[in-house]
Amino acid sequence: MATLETAAEAPATLELSADALPDFTSANYKDAYSRINAIVIEGEQEAHDNYVSIGTLLPDQADELTKLARMELKHMKGFTACANNLGVTADMAFAKAFFAPLHGNFQTALAAGKVPTCLLIQALLIEAFAISAYHIYIPVADPFARKITEGVVKDEYTHLNYGQEWLKANLDSCREELEQANRDNLPLIRRMLDQVAGDAAVLQMDKEDLIEDFLIAYQEALTEIGFTTREIARMAASALVG
Amino acid sequence: MFGLIGHSSSFEQAQQKAMDLGLEEMAGADLMAWCSAPPQLLETFQVTSQTGKTIQGTYIDSCFVPEMLSRFKTATRKVQNAMELAQKNGINVTALGGFTSIIFENYDLSKFQQIRNTTLQWERFTTGNTHTAWVICQQVERNAPKLGIDLTTAKVAVVGATGDIGSAVCRWLSQRTQVGELLLVARQQQRLQDLQQSLGGGRILSLEEALPEADVVVWVASLPQTLSIDHDSLRKPCLMIDGGYPKNLDAKVAGDGVHVLKGGIVEFWQDIGWQMMEVAEMENPRRHLFACFAEAMLLEFEGIHTNFSWGRNNISLANMELIGGASLRHGFQAIGLAADQLTSALIGRQLAAA
Repeated sequence: MATLETAAEAPATLELSADALPDFTSANYKDAYSRINAIVIEGEQEAHDNYVSIGTLLPDQADELTKLARMELKHMKGFTACANNLGVTADMAFAKAFFAPLHGNFQTALAAGKVPTCLLIQALLIEAFAISAYHIYIPVADPFARKITEGVVKDEYTHLNYGQEWLKANLDSCREELEQANRDNLPLIRRMLDQVAGDAAVLQMDKEDLIEDFLIAYQEALTEIGFTTREIARMAASALVG
Repeated sequence: MFGLIGHSSSFEQAQQKAMDLGLEEMAGADLMAWCSAPPQLLETFQVTSQTGKTIQGTYIDSCFVPEMLSRFKTATRKVQNAMELAQKNGINVTALGGFTSIIFENYDLSKFQQIRNTTLQWERFTTGNTHTAWVICQQVERNAPKLGIDLTTAKVAVVGATGDIGSAVCRWLSQRTQVGELLLVARQQQRLQDLQQSLGGGRILSLEEALPEADVVVWVASLPQTLSIDHDSLRKPCLMIDGGYPKNLDAKVAGDGVHVLKGGIVEFWQDIGWQMMEVAEMENPRRHLFACFAEAMLLEFEGIHTNFSWGRNNISLANMELIGGASLRHGFQAIGLAADQLTSALIGRQLAAA
């Protein structure tokens, strides 16, 4: 058993205050940033396309969804500016491959007209993923990117909320589909996090933090939708194991 | 609504609990996976006071386990995230139980009020230390005489005297009781001297010096695994109140005139319909609970929605009296020595007299 004494030895305030920011100009940082930034840009593009697509399944909400989609394009431009500011070229080929499995699942659900699955992938998983990553990135970002990301993260909660509200209103008819969609897609999120863990670490973003923060945002959404604590814990477990 | 933030006492126990809850994946997951597990609001329940008043409570498992103590970022994140969850659920007052309040204080988490998009409102949280300190003092005052220890001539050692609970216990014992002498034990000399001055008495000793002199020992510091106590050198009878966390003193010294009492544990007047105290390995998990948790209940019963116990060395005697009065009124009682402990103490005294 560790004791209070050993626990007290860690330099808590030093690391927690994150006063030692990474060297944004180092080749190592820029290399990692080229992939992380590309993922963010691609993620915002995917989000735009996905909201427009969901609009085709929910014609009465197409206007609202178009608004959300436009916000994502604005975010994309902001993050493109962040790369330019650091003199980095985003590795878009990497990002496209990174999103391919999730993109594939979304397209399959879209073709089948499965609104709940589409919303779970875009409005819950991708948005929760983005929210957690942005929150963890903000304290270790360069000043330019920090400002932009702070603005973006507020919008992403709006998007999470949109999906949440629709699914809440329709939970009775889509519960099983959501559980299946969770089983099919949450492990993909886990693999995506594993895949970027090394690059994220260079940016001083811990994988452990990313997973926990992602799950907090995701679980909050599931709670709001109306799942019980135990159902949620069971659903979330597939992000932690496997 | 009041809240309790707690954790399993070991990783193995956390896995077992996950299994019991039907979370097979988590039960089989390794410690690394648990390090990323978010806090869970595990149960809500009702508690009815002896006065008839009923309140709602909720238990949040921080998903922290003691094996994570060496990973300070993980440990701090667990505490902060559990607090955020409590606040987001609109809980009026939440007690930080087990290691969570120790982590909060040791890592000075009051500097980090912003958790993602939530600003933690400290007034919604309590360490529960005021009630714990009061309960420990009650345990000293009530149980020492049962072992034939006359407090007016007894030497009472407080190990961890400069801590939040320790200093409150010292203040209470020196000002509200007639103890013979206080023996002050702690690591930091300056703080010890400050304490001695504020008390206007007490003798500063090392642990090795204090133990053989003490009739009563109040432990309110976590014990290092390596700590060994020479049983033969202890006074007999000796009352030891194990007020630290985790409670691992019993196995080290109990027996043959040395009586160990779990410190800071209270018994409620009736069963509570919860499962959570089973994970804390309480003797009677439906009625026994940590005094710090009981403080959250008391504050809710009394409608005192402030961070009643907060920061270091802020516990006043007036607040101890206030929470102590509420404790008795609502049906809590500090646990005392068990019947078999008292019987063995009596036999010991008779043998000594013969």
